[in-house]
Amino acid sequence: MKIGYRLNDKFDLATFISVFLLSVIGLAAIYSSTVNHPTASGNFERQFIWFIFSIIIFFITYFVPPQFFRIIAVPSYILSILSLLLVLVVGKTVYGAKSWLGVGNLGMQPSELAKIGLIFFLAYWLTRHKGDINNIKDIGISLLIGFIPIALILLEPDMGTAIVFAFITIVMVFWSGINLFGLFVVFSPGIVTFASIFGTYAFVASLILVVTALIFFKKDLFLSASIFVMNIAAGFFFDYLYNILQPHQQKRIESFLDPNADPLGAGYNALQAKVAIGSGGLLGKGFMQGNQTQLRFIPQQWTDFIYCVVGEEFGFIGSIFVVVLFLIIFMRLLKLTSTQKDNYFSLITIGVLSLLFFHFCINIGMNLGITPVIGLPLPFLSYGGSSLLVNVFLIGVVLNFYRNRKQYA
Amino acid sequence: MNDTHFGSLTRKRILVFVIIGFTLLTSFKLVKMQLLENFFYQEKSMENSVRKDLIPAPRGVFYDRNNKVLVSNKPSFTLEITPAKFDTSLIPLIETMLHVDKGYIKYLFNENKKYSRHIPIKIKRNVDFDFIAWYQENKEKLRGVEYKVDLQRDYSFGVSGSHLFGYSKEIGAEQYQELKQEYDMGDYIGATGLEKMYESYLRGVKGYRLTLVDAKQKTIGRYLQGEEDKKAQKGDDLILGICAEAQKVAEETFAGKKGALVAIQPQTGEVIALVSAPEYNLADFASVTSSDVWTKLNNDEDKPLFNRATMSIYPPGSTFKMVSATAALNEGIIDEEYSLNCPGGLQFGDRFFKCMHVHGRVNVVQAIEQSCNTFFYSLILKTGLGIWSDYGKRFGFGQKTGIDIPEETSGILPDSAYYNRVYGKNGWTKGFLVSLGIGQGEVSVTPLQLAKYAALLANDGVSYEPHIARAYVDRETQEVVEFPRKEIDLNVDPSVLAIVKEGMYRVVNGDHGTARNIRMEDVEVAGKTGTAQNPHGNDHAIFIGFAPYNNPQIAIALVVENAGYGSTKAAPIAQAVIRAYLNAEKEAKEGKTVAVNTGGGQ
Repeated sequence: MKIGYRLNDKFDLATFISVFLLSVIGLAAIYSSTVNHPTASGNFERQFIWFIFSIIIFFITYFVPPQFFRIIAVPSYILSILSLLLVLVVGKTVYGAKSWLGVGNLGMQPSELAKIGLIFFLAYWLTRHKGDINNIKDIGISLLIGFIPIALILLEPDMGTAIVFAFITIVMVFWSGINLFGLFVVFSPGIVTFASIFGTYAFVASLILVVTALIFFKKDLFLSASIFVMNIAAGFFFDYLYNILQPHQQKRIESFLDPNADPLGAGYNALQAKVAIGSGGLLGKGFMQGNQTQLRFIPQQWTDFIYCVVGEEFGFIGSIFVVVLFLIIFMRLLKLTSTQKDNYFSLITIGVLSLLFFHFCINIGMNLGITPVIGLPLPFLSYGGSSLLVNVFLIGVVLNFYRNRKQYA
Repeated sequence: MNDTHFGSLTRKRILVFVIIGFTLLTSFKLVKMQLLENFFYQEKSMENSVRKDLIPAPRGVFYDRNNKVLVSNKPSFTLEITPAKFDTSLIPLIETMLHVDKGYIKYLFNENKKYSRHIPIKIKRNVDFDFIAWYQENKEKLRGVEYKVDLQRDYSFGVSGSHLFGYSKEIGAEQYQELKQEYDMGDYIGATGLEKMYESYLRGVKGYRLTLVDAKQKTIGRYLQGEEDKKAQKGDDLILGICAEAQKVAEETFAGKKGALVAIQPQTGEVIALVSAPEYNLADFASVTSSDVWTKLNNDEDKPLFNRATMSIYPPGSTFKMVSATAALNEGIIDEEYSLNCPGGLQFGDRFFKCMHVHGRVNVVQAIEQSCNTFFYSLILKTGLGIWSDYGKRFGFGQKTGIDIPEETSGILPDSAYYNRVYGKNGWTKGFLVSLGIGQGEVSVTPLQLAKYAALLANDGVSYEPHIARAYVDRETQEVVEFPRKEIDLNVDPSVLAIVKEGMYRVVNGDHGTARNIRMEDVEVAGKTGTAQNPHGNDHAIFIGFAPYNNPQIAIALVVENAGYGSTKAAPIAQAVIRAYLNAEKEAKEGKTVAVNTGGGQ
């Protein structure tokens, strides 16, 4: 099959098909959850138009000369920061966050654009020729590149997206060859803090992990002990952190820890999502047949809880299929980094991978009750035009690099 | 671990590890939720979106011995308003039509504020039919207003029977804890009388209607087009031994009096009529019983809630003389010829026990006919307490009859053990016995026991335990299934009973009988009058008897409290009930009654 070989050589079919299928499943789920809805019944049409538009953007992106993405690295970041500033001034408040820039009927979230800016500019900075990632100044600047948009997004405030930016930054720095011990020093307090949310046992377990890692790194006793103490302090930091959270965020954490505690309040969505997915069974209740979905037991289901439409109406087969498609995308993206000779493109690919993976973890996790309810959409499936467009664009960028990988050999 | 290479293999492996790790975690969670715990979540999802509305089961109907309806069911209307559909400007109009205070509906709306506006709110139970008629005419203008049809007992068939049928009431909190498996809160459950005794037959099986509702409890439609719905099954109907006409006459004659009457079919033990007066109005208990009604009934000095027929104990007076006579005759202590001179009383020790008259020489038949006390004072001294109480026991005194209503007391039948217990081993003398001979003193009986006694006498010492319900109509097969009945046998020579019965015959039909006033041309009644001494007021009038003498169809006993003599105050009531019963039976035989409608109900 000569044609097939040539096509695969220029085009990563597996990634494209996975993205395409996920978007189609997303459209079906949006249709099912909104077509009979009194206020959201036009969502399917809108998303469909965005989908077509995204495909066009994908192919444009795919065929653009790759140098283009090098040129836009700095401007895109600056534009992102400017729009994040602008939104704080003239933005529209949606669900408690001043995150939308509206132009007539069209609206966009600067934080979506900023994902592109962050990934491109951070990749640009980290792969500069004279850069040294283990130089403390370079680390500082890298983290600052991430911190500026994070701070602006926190001001909206949009905690979920801010965490995504932090994750992207850390993974890209990680990929760039940062000393793993250094990363561990920076990272472990965060993990311990997160674990302490779950109570004393989780806190102690995470400390044991920290000790294990410290033994593994074989550093001297004083340094190891200092890091250990820092981790203990981080564990108690949660209490402090918890108190500065917004009440609705506190409720979300509480409801995540025990969704049954307040089944009609904050834990409601988490509980109903689990009921929807669990009741789907092996084959699901059938398209447009899920009572949890059709009877609207999960508010705004077409956004953050789109996965439970799939779980309920297409069952285990449908749910696992979505997971497998994502796994294909993740593994392909990871594979593409090693076919890439240019570090800039490789790092952008990792940035895209971390973005998609983090969204995937948090979104599927909260649908299944593994992670707290943090309002992050599921890439390609959730309703939302700018999110779909940016994600498809980023896939287009990565496949563009794949098409041109040999040029930089 | 010390590599610092861009995109090194170690870093790649860490990412692969994290990606695969989380994907596996997700997959395990999906397997657990969707495959292993699927059933649990499906139930949850059902509970969410399917509303179960219970359909009450009509209780079984009570039929009399000739298949006449005694107690049935009728619809009662509960008004409901669904706030989401309702135009609140209609509130004043509806309040006026319902005859409720201004602000009543608004108050209820506020009370239910925390629920979805799509859930109907119960506005008023037992709305009268005029309102429903008005509602039907103006239905289109009254959006969101609906009524629900419940069922309540219908007592409009001319028979009161308050102590016989009993009432049902909403299940109490404690009872609910015990019966959680079978009942729901708000269910009605038999509380007294037949309603309680036959609860398991009468209650039927509730049905339900499944409705699909959305997250706001708004009705979407029927669940699976009603395929899974269950119809309510009406309870089993009961066919009673009660004769509607006799019961009615008994109730009418007792109106304004206090006392009780029980009539029994001697060959079957079926209760023909059972009245305790004063009665109360069962209709007050048919739906929600107001606390006013309860307070009034509970504080009434005449104790209308108390079932005198089965729970009140009275000294049987002279009606007990047949026990002494049967005992002495059957034990051979006296015979038919034996006679005794009545000088107007009996001197025993230092006490003189009076007779009503100077009867002269009387034998046992004459002693019963004329109710000669002297004869029976002397007789119990001859037979002794042991034999006397043995025969009393054979007739069922001092023990519950086993009738099929839960309220019953056993009365007192003294024996030596009883006296030892009450007065101490040597604290009592033979003198205590003398008044027992004429049914006074410690002996006390219920009207029901007296009726059973009359039935045993009437049917030559063999009968069945008194029971009200004869059979039930199986709700599934429509088959009439008789309840088992328990035979009782006095083990007394019928020739002995024949002598006693002749005495009873002469009470009504003899020249010197004490109840000659109720003699009838067409029916030969046998009986015995009694007057129970009442330390608290006027004596109670008592009568027991049966008819027709040669082929007894009805045995009867009654007590009229504080009325005086049995002959004038009690016997005429017996006469009226006997006549009503025999007429009804005759008519039934001639086929004038309506055929039983066993297929009734929904």
